[in-house]
Amino acid sequence: MIDFLAYLLIVIALIFMSLGVIGLFRFKDFYSRILISSKIETVGFLTIMIGFIILSGLSYAAMKILLITILVMITNPLSTHAIARSAFLSGYTINQETRL
Amino acid sequence: MTFLETTLFVIAIYIVLVLVRVILGPTIWDRLLGLNAISAKIIMSIIILSLITGQSYLLDVALVYALLGFISTVLIARFIEKKGDIS
Repeated sequence: MIDFLAYLLIVIALIFMSLGVIGLFRFKDFYSRILISSKIETVGFLTIMIGFIILSGLSYAAMKILLITILVMITNPLSTHAIARSAFLSGYTINQETRL
Repeated sequence: MTFLETTLFVIAIYIVLVLVRVILGPTIWDRLLGLNAISAKIIMSIIILSLITGQSYLLDVALVYALLGFISTVLIARFIEKKGDIS
């Protein structure tokens, strides 16, 4: 029963990540792409890591996976922000003729 | 093929698709975004590999990979932002 819950969480995370990969090809503008990618990557990472923690039970490895999860939850939005800041300060502007 | 091996296969397909975006991307920031996404997916792959083989030391590799991916992304972003002026 508890394994079924973990498998369900992992399948939901794979669906989230597939939406993020589709969004990388769907949108024509860099800022739209970085928006969809950062949001969906963070949610997919959190969901799949909760699935792995449930799957590995209460053990030493589960605590280590929890540590990696907390670390990536902090660093992933920071690196996405650094990329967007770099693009904005370098003078990248949205082309008005591109359609979503 | 067990469930975790199937998950690993699907994540490998995602990595290849993001790599197409990295090769095809018009600007350099698209490529940097692809680097960030591939880094997160490789961390997931290493953890799945650790769960399949049951070897706990691979989690340390994933931890170091997370830190190195963050540092490399921020460093390249700041390097482009200052237009190559390191000081």
